[in-house]
Amino acid sequence: MNLWQRLRPIRTRLALLLAVVGPGIITANVDNDAGGITTYSVAGARYGYALLWMMPIVAVALIIVQEMSARLGVVTGKGLADLIRERMGVRVTTLILALLVFVNLANTVSEFAGVAASMEIFGVSKYISVPLAAIAVWFLIVKGSYKVVERVFLIASAIFLAYVASGVIAAPNWSEVGRSLATPTFHLDVGYVTIFVTIIGTTIAPWMQFYQQSSIVDKGIQLKDYAYERVDVVVGSLFAVFVAAFIMIACASTIYKSGLNIDSAKDAALALGPLAGKYASLLFAFGLLNASLFSAAILPLSTSYTVCEAFGWENSVRRDLKDAPIFFGIYTALIILGAGIILLPIQSLIQAMMISQTFNGVLLPVILITMLVLINDKRLMGKFKNGRIINILAWTTTVILIILAAILIVVTFIP
Amino acid sequence: MLHASEFIGRPVADADGKRIGKLKDLLAAHRGEVPHPLLVAIEVKQRSGSVFIPMHEVAALISLAIPLKKKISEITPYEPLPEDLHLVRDVLDKQIIDTDGMRVVRVNDLELTRVNGDVYVANVDISGVGLVRRLGLGSLADRLAAHPRSSDLPSIISWDNIELLSGDQPMRLKVPTSKMADLHPADLAEILSDLSRQEGSKILETLDIETLADTLEEVEPDFQVSLIERMTDDRVADLLEEMAPDEAADLLAELPQDRKHDLLELMEDKEAEDVRKLLTFPEDTAGGIMNTEYFLIPSNFSAAQVLERLRETAPEAETIYYIYVADQDEHLLGVFSLRQLVLAQPDALVIDFMEERVVTVDLMDSQEDCAQVVSKYNLLAVPVVDEQKRIHGIVTADDALDKIIPTAWKKRLPRFYQ
Repeated sequence: MNLWQRLRPIRTRLALLLAVVGPGIITANVDNDAGGITTYSVAGARYGYALLWMMPIVAVALIIVQEMSARLGVVTGKGLADLIRERMGVRVTTLILALLVFVNLANTVSEFAGVAASMEIFGVSKYISVPLAAIAVWFLIVKGSYKVVERVFLIASAIFLAYVASGVIAAPNWSEVGRSLATPTFHLDVGYVTIFVTIIGTTIAPWMQFYQQSSIVDKGIQLKDYAYERVDVVVGSLFAVFVAAFIMIACASTIYKSGLNIDSAKDAALALGPLAGKYASLLFAFGLLNASLFSAAILPLSTSYTVCEAFGWENSVRRDLKDAPIFFGIYTALIILGAGIILLPIQSLIQAMMISQTFNGVLLPVILITMLVLINDKRLMGKFKNGRIINILAWTTTVILIILAAILIVVTFIP
Repeated sequence: MLHASEFIGRPVADADGKRIGKLKDLLAAHRGEVPHPLLVAIEVKQRSGSVFIPMHEVAALISLAIPLKKKISEITPYEPLPEDLHLVRDVLDKQIIDTDGMRVVRVNDLELTRVNGDVYVANVDISGVGLVRRLGLGSLADRLAAHPRSSDLPSIISWDNIELLSGDQPMRLKVPTSKMADLHPADLAEILSDLSRQEGSKILETLDIETLADTLEEVEPDFQVSLIERMTDDRVADLLEEMAPDEAADLLAELPQDRKHDLLELMEDKEAEDVRKLLTFPEDTAGGIMNTEYFLIPSNFSAAQVLERLRETAPEAETIYYIYVADQDEHLLGVFSLRQLVLAQPDALVIDFMEERVVTVDLMDSQEDCAQVVSKYNLLAVPVVDEQKRIHGIVTADDALDKIIPTAWKKRLPRFYQ
């Protein structure tokens, strides 16, 4: 037996890991979309390091939620919308999906806002960049190969490591950073609670749960390979939060320190100054554009799949328009509306990007409760249903989120 | 026509008028030869658990509160059997296969019908109107139903045209019912592509090797790979032996080296040898797409002897419409068609009626070349020869044109019917 054959068990395990890796890492990268970048930037720019303590906690919450969604997908072999329909009936499904479509539309608006904002750095008006982007995205879905697109996006996402580099180069006071990581602060004012819920909403976006689960089901990951999928999910989540934290640090040590505000994408680009100097704007614009375009493509697609899956309508990108009218209709409508809303006279693209993430944060507890009901169903999950510890952690997270969402609503409408 | 959505969730009251719970589920069972299941019991959800009431104790289903015929204390509960169908738990909102329309659909509602006092499940409703009704908008649903929109496929499917998926029923024996096995492999393949991987695998497990091979040959190699992923190597090896060698070679070419190696080891030597040989040629050459199951006869045979030989060995051949004549070393001498054979006198020698100028392609000719030849000479198949004019295989028309025309169209070209 030669060396190649002798290494077979290790090779097999590595190959398995590489084959399985994907859904978790991709979902995590998608996490850092227009809404994400903006939220973390603003958080760092406005509050300095004060919000850093959230990140480890949010990371844990993200891992818990992503792992549950992955487990649901691997054990049942079905998407989340499919499960909701099968277990919770038509009414609950209609309600949840109606909310999801609304929130996803807001997210799509946010992605196109990202396109507009990034192209403005290049001096291109949003009236040109956004319609072009909308058309490009539409064609990408209809004609493009998803695998190729995914790969290009992933490679381009490496740009976010620039934030890490920038954060390190800006030479912040690391002991101050360390202290902030360990010191929780909380104020009961609109701005603070909003950014709180927004950060959670952008890191653990409801649409990501549906997307990841469908992705896992599509890949056909089997129960016996679940251990590898778990690695994928954990690594992906950690990476996402790691990058997010550094976006915050970079913005805190450049923009906050200089006492500036983020009113436009150009301001946010300053955070990359330490690394890229005068190329900071270009680097930032490119990163934001990449993230926005990709998310603008998969958000409507994922929404279409989710809705058609739940209601039993024809869904496939390879069918013709007349075979799958509702599928095509949904994502076309989302793209048109998403792009259209951005073309309206909007004061602040930054605001537009962030509001959708706040919606995410408010919808999240609903989706979490749904997932918890499903994942504790013994008939469905067998021995893979939630253990006690995970249940405690997950339910605690959900309750905290509900309280936060309630506080947010109260604080917004009752000054 | 009763709609299940109209009474599920309704309160159930006994003869005394006492409310005993809510209607949670309907149990049905197949009785006798009737393809439609008969309602045998209802499941009533109570504060602590459920109770099953036999159907003959239920006075009526269409009622604001569902009345029973006796007092609750006088009713013997129904004992559910493992093979009973729980319509709400197992059918409503689930995906099923429409074996008439050849598609995977989702159940929105159930239509029940009363025959001689018994209630049967008549149809499955997969329409949007059914969805509207489930949302509780009954009157809107009725108005929509009154104006049917024409569509290609019906949205009310009779129960005997559906196939339930095994879902999460560990108890339900997945019997390969004749419905699925009777479907044309191309339709089976299409349904499989609509199902989730888990469900698809379960159905594949129930098919016999022949049907499985036929179905697999209808789909693209990358889809084939995902379908066989969950199968044991032994079963896959059997499958590869059953498939035509060129199809088997295509599938093996997509697999990782290790698995390919293992599978070839497991296959019968003769079959493995054919496949190995095909694997040595690049995919996009005549050698890569050719089939090794051709029919060869010696030059000194008479028509009668050929027919004799055909009857003995033909089932293995890919096509018998062209019969190739060769010497002992497989040098191609001529060809004739089945038509010529049938029309010839039994004692006529093949040398006399065979066509000596045989149209051939070389092992290394491209697929486009094969397609050109096939369409220029209107052939069903073209033999593949080496420089010494020895025959190595045949390229059938559908394989030659396959790479030129996308697969979606391929399904419309006629296949050879054995």
